[in-house]
Amino acid sequence: MHGVKRRQWTKDQLKQKKEKDRMKIDVYSSLVNSTLDRRDKNDHSLTALEDTTKLLDMNPEFNTMWNYRRDIIAKLKTELPLQFWDKELKFIMVQLKKFPKVYWIWNHRIWVLNNYPGSPASVWERELDIVSALLEVDARNFHGWHYRRMVVGKLENITGKSMDAGELAYASKKINNNISNFSAWHQRVQLIDRMFANGEIEDRKEFMEKEINYLTNAMFTDAEDQSVWFYINWFVNYPLVQSILGKEQYIRFLESMTTNILMINDDDIEFSGSDNSWCLKILLVIEQRQKELSPGFESHSVQYLEKLVVMDPLRKNRYLHLLSKQ
Amino acid sequence: MQLLKEKHIAYVKSLDSHTDDYEYWLSEHLRLNGVYWGLTVLCILGSPETFDKDDVIAFVMSCWDDKYGGFAPFPRHDSHLLSTLSGLQILATLGGLDNVKKDQLKLSQCLKFISSNQLEDGSFQGDRFGEVDARFSYNALSCLSILGELTPEVVDPAVNFVLRCYNFDGGFGLSPGAESHASMAFTCLGALKITGKLHLLSPEQIDMIGWWLCERQLPEGGLNGRPSKLPDVCYSWWVLSSLAIIGKLEWIDYEKLTQFILSCQDEKRGGISDRPNNEADVFHTVFGVAGLSLLGYKDLVPVDPTYCMPYSITATFQKYGLY
Ligand SMILES: [Zn+2]
Repeated sequence: MHGVKRRQWTKDQLKQKKEKDRMKIDVYSSLVNSTLDRRDKNDHSLTALEDTTKLLDMNPEFNTMWNYRRDIIAKLKTELPLQFWDKELKFIMVQLKKFPKVYWIWNHRIWVLNNYPGSPASVWERELDIVSALLEVDARNFHGWHYRRMVVGKLENITGKSMDAGELAYASKKINNNISNFSAWHQRVQLIDRMFANGEIEDRKEFMEKEINYLTNAMFTDAEDQSVWFYINWFVNYPLVQSILGKEQYIRFLESMTTNILMINDDDIEFSGSDNSWCLKILLVIEQRQKELSPGFESHSVQYLEKLVVMDPLRKNRYLHLLSKQ
Repeated sequence: MQLLKEKHIAYVKSLDSHTDDYEYWLSEHLRLNGVYWGLTVLCILGSPETFDKDDVIAFVMSCWDDKYGGFAPFPRHDSHLLSTLSGLQILATLGGLDNVKKDQLKLSQCLKFISSNQLEDGSFQGDRFGEVDARFSYNALSCLSILGELTPEVVDPAVNFVLRCYNFDGGFGLSPGAESHASMAFTCLGALKITGKLHLLSPEQIDMIGWWLCERQLPEGGLNGRPSKLPDVCYSWWVLSSLAIIGKLEWIDYEKLTQFILSCQDEKRGGISDRPNNEADVFHTVFGVAGLSLLGYKDLVPVDPTYCMPYSITATFQKYGLY
């Protein structure tokens, strides 16, 4: 159970609950038994389908019931009218809104879409709108993002066209709404990497320069949150950045990152009296690259690490480990 | 605060007496997993005999799926890789594995159930309906190692898939391209450990994994599952066991995490919840207690981070590949 406040029941409340529960249990368990009996008799009728609807409405986590439901639908497939499939998708949506984190329901939805007669692009396009709406409600829903990638993949398969550019714009929109949305930052990395790999970016240098602006702005917007810093860590180490910018410009990029991060850190010192631990952690990463590229580079890493040991004691053993390697 | 051992034992013992709660009936789909969680709590607390061994083995065997092989979470339900692992874990813990291993039909059905759910890219679906998730890779490999049936035909493509779940941030996702999640660090690192393939991760990757994992610890001491999320006892286990598997357990603060887990105990009724003052459940109880064992809390039975079972039991499992 997640996020359910502990509750103290009085004797009276308990008694009332048990009485109510007894009736519910009777209804539920007799329906479970009769439906499983139907299944054992290979009953693939509309009545059996209706029974699974009732049961899943009571308990959408009953995986075996979803299985039986799929078996029935698969058997009846040729007889079911087109409206059935839209009704099914509506039924699942009702369940998903109540239980957005139940794997079984998401799984059933994908199965239904895959089995939708003809599985036309229009159905998947509508699905993309639906998943966008769900991510409006909970912008970090794990299932939602995973599901989005599946829907997009399906659409790309059907149309034979990459949707990467549009999806990158979507990820940007999500990040601009909330800079700590790591799910969107994650997606950004996937998309950029794929767009480069598939030659989807015309002016590669311009793209990189824009990306540098983007992450610099993000860093100044919220320097407390680790999302943007994990992204920067990736970007600084992403081999294409250096190969596209060229060594000289890449070194200048690292220098300007250092200047900016130190500026943020100085602001933090002025404001709160102490360094920003993420600034120091990422400076370490940047210095690592600088040391590799410029022999004789004057490193501050030991100093940063010694500060981190004190200011971020939860992770002090990691810093001690890194110190031992300096 | 101390660990309320007796309270937790009593709590686990009481779980099966809630048959007049509607919720008990609604949770049949997790019953076998629940028995594994409860039994493991009892083992770690040094009180395995609290459950009647024969009754439990009989219940596990009543969950066998004659049609597809493998274990269902409850009699008459369908088998799934999740519940199949729970079934085998319980049998292994209670010394009842021969019920499957020595029964030719069941063993071959079980192996067929597992291998038939492996897909072309090496991933596993949980059952015949196509849901792919790195959790199921872990389930399948763990099952096969318990049964002593790991083979290169299954392992090599499975490992290939698991490695593709590794992300740029040092975490693992449920499938290639999916966002990092603490539970996936456990399933992926566990899968690699079981198959003796941890060396396929570079030292730089291991350092990055350790970094991502230790950044899960929050000032209150608990660990979260992803950036900007709340701490939770179950995530504390996923992260902690992962750190233990890569030998970097000391990268988080033991004392603070111990206090966080202890603060999630229900002092009255026993059991541990996800966060302080929430409703306890057996899932968070096992991961809380197992976490404390990994942290070296006094008088607990040592737990194997790869299997979330006592070392005394996992010592008998198949050792595969390079160690
Ligand atoms: Zn939890």
